Amino acid sequence: MTQFVFFSGKGGVGKTSMACTHAVRYADEGQRTLIVTTDPASNLADVFEQTIGHQVTPIAGVKNLWAMEIDPDTATQEYIDRALSPLRAAFPAQMVRVMEEQMSGPCTAEVAAFDRFTDFIVQDKTFPEFDLIIFDTAPTGHTIRLLELPAEWSQSIDAASAGSGQTCIGPAAAIQDAKHKYENALAALRNEALSIFIFVLHPEAIAIRETKRAIGELGKLGIYTHRLIVNSIIPASEKINPLFAARSEMQARYLEQIKAELPYPTQRMTLLSGEIQGAARLRQVGKIFFDGESAPVDSETRTGKTVSVMTSSIKEIRARIEPNGQRRTLFFAGKGGVGKTVASCLTAVWLAQQGHKTLLLTTDPAAHLGDVLGQPVGDAPAPITGLQNLWAVKIDPKAAAETYKARILNDARQRGRPESAIKVIEEELDSPCTEEMAAFDQFIDYASQADWEAVVFDTAPTGHTMRLLELPMDWSQQIDVKVFASVEGNAADDVAKQRFGQVIAMMRDPAQSTFAFVMYPESTPILEAWRAAQELATVGIYPGLVVANFVIPPVQVTPFAQARRNMQVKYLAEIRTRFNTPVLEIPLLPQEVKGLEMLAELGWLAYGDEVHQAEPV
Amino acid sequence: MPEPITLFTTIPGQAVPAAEVELFDPPMCCPTGLCGPALDQTLLDVSEMIMALQRENLRVARYQMTSHPNAFLSNVDVMKLVREKQMEALPITVVRGTVVKVGAYPSVAEIHTALNGTAS
Repeated sequence: MTQFVFFSGKGGVGKTSMACTHAVRYADEGQRTLIVTTDPASNLADVFEQTIGHQVTPIAGVKNLWAMEIDPDTATQEYIDRALSPLRAAFPAQMVRVMEEQMSGPCTAEVAAFDRFTDFIVQDKTFPEFDLIIFDTAPTGHTIRLLELPAEWSQSIDAASAGSGQTCIGPAAAIQDAKHKYENALAALRNEALSIFIFVLHPEAIAIRETKRAIGELGKLGIYTHRLIVNSIIPASEKINPLFAARSEMQARYLEQIKAELPYPTQRMTLLSGEIQGAARLRQVGKIFFDGESAPVDSETRTGKTVSVMTSSIKEIRARIEPNGQRRTLFFAGKGGVGKTVASCLTAVWLAQQGHKTLLLTTDPAAHLGDVLGQPVGDAPAPITGLQNLWAVKIDPKAAAETYKARILNDARQRGRPESAIKVIEEELDSPCTEEMAAFDQFIDYASQADWEAVVFDTAPTGHTMRLLELPMDWSQQIDVKVFASVEGNAADDVAKQRFGQVIAMMRDPAQSTFAFVMYPESTPILEAWRAAQELATVGIYPGLVVANFVIPPVQVTPFAQARRNMQVKYLAEIRTRFNTPVLEIPLLPQEVKGLEMLAELGWLAYGDEVHQAEPV
Repeated sequence: MPEPITLFTTIPGQAVPAAEVELFDPPMCCPTGLCGPALDQTLLDVSEMIMALQRENLRVARYQMTSHPNAFLSNVDVMKLVREKQMEALPITVVRGTVVKVGAYPSVAEIHTALNGTAS
């Protein structure tokens, strides 16, 4: 029987590095191993330093190891081709085209990626050649939704066959026959002899909370986690470095908390001075992780050539942040764990202090806006206590779906629809797509509100964000081809289309909108942001700012810290060559960012006058 | 290339008796239009009509090209209309195997008339 290992956790915690380290180790031990990523912004290829793509690909230099990156676009196209091939001959070309357009909607993408994912899990003849399949899964919120889908869909299908025979899964309405496949997938996930879940986390408050939440969510689905890897532990030798010493003390407190609150088998992994790339390096990391060998300071990085870092002027950066006679909308994009929330919070706090009426909001299902602000954030915009001009709101997909449902049902009731009809609508709205649709609907709502001077979006991790942002385009296309049963429906959709059009125009106008890519100066986050920026460029949207986070101050006392600084300098230069925007640097801080006072201080550091900028933290 | 998708094949042993009233819908995200940014009231009317017919113990089925292509393919009259008129043909209403309305949804009265006309 093939066994499955799932790596889970917030983006940027070293999930991919750990998954690859395990994959190489197992393959070297003679197990035929496949590593699969379901992350739309995968970086498997970067770690193995070779092209992988949407098919099972042998990894050079590691016998018994194969890899695959599930590409949502390719998966969608394959799914559409498979579904439409029997219809091409029978239906007129115009109708096949309409069906094809219809299947290009967001629902199909979700269905297709998921379908591909379950192909690997279902124990049939598909992949008998592997002893072990390792999933380097997408970041937490998205992962959970993906894993939740089998349960929801099974229910959805049950409800559909019992009720009106309709589901809102759209193109997936035909999944009736695929039901057994999803049930098998879920059964395999629940079988402790077959599946292991490994949560990778940093010893930090937010990571602990998210891991607890994720474990709880899986528990509700009857899936029980088995192991933790606490990553990036500062080596004891760094206690002589004040910055790292402070962080190390913080880590010690959180390690105790993990012991007390997450009583699962736990392994620890030390913070390394260099990056993890290539098979040889993965084997070395394997020796550190599995065999307890000590980590050498990466000599190559230590002697790294000195590159002078050019810094952007505050004036340049402020021009991209401040409202300029009209409303300014800021999108903080980037991989999970790069510090999007901190960057968006300090920016929003600074804008509010400048007297701009500011709305701060998140579209990330695993949002921790409230943790950083130090006060709860709900699903309706509310003023932030202790600071004028600042409001905050969280778009929670589940809560948004409830609001959306209530609005539609209320509308139907007001039109005098009988309760039996309301019940049918209610059933239909109980589908996974409603959440996506509702979150998007709210996104559009906030993106069109005129009564703010500044709107700051702390967006979801890269791949998911791109899908959310591309939705307006998808929908306008969808509406063009949609066939209507009534003039009223047509008119209502015209209104919606116009609304989307305005949002698209706003997002494309650099005088109104700024896309700020947040990353830390390391290879993987830069490449991910770069790919995301290219994807955005295809819809006419270009980055206006880069935020480089966790920057280690220039002068360091230990070889370890200096090696990491040198590595960062190399990548700070790469950021400037890849992105033609001002770069805002946020230093690595001795403690976590929390509360308005600290955010205000950081805001000053980032956007205040030059005198403040020069002061050390 | 992976094997063809099996979604459209019928599960053996689950043959459903033919419905008295069959609606061949135009392509929609979902049958009531709830997936769109606005509710389509006509489609809600249709949904209510179907419930009314079901209360009379009539079997009603709805088909869309993408989800139930076999229902289209196996009805010669429907496919003839689809080839001739393309999108304009939809929705098509079939009562006891006979096409009774093309290009618009019927009313409950129209369905009753058709049922009485073909009463067996």
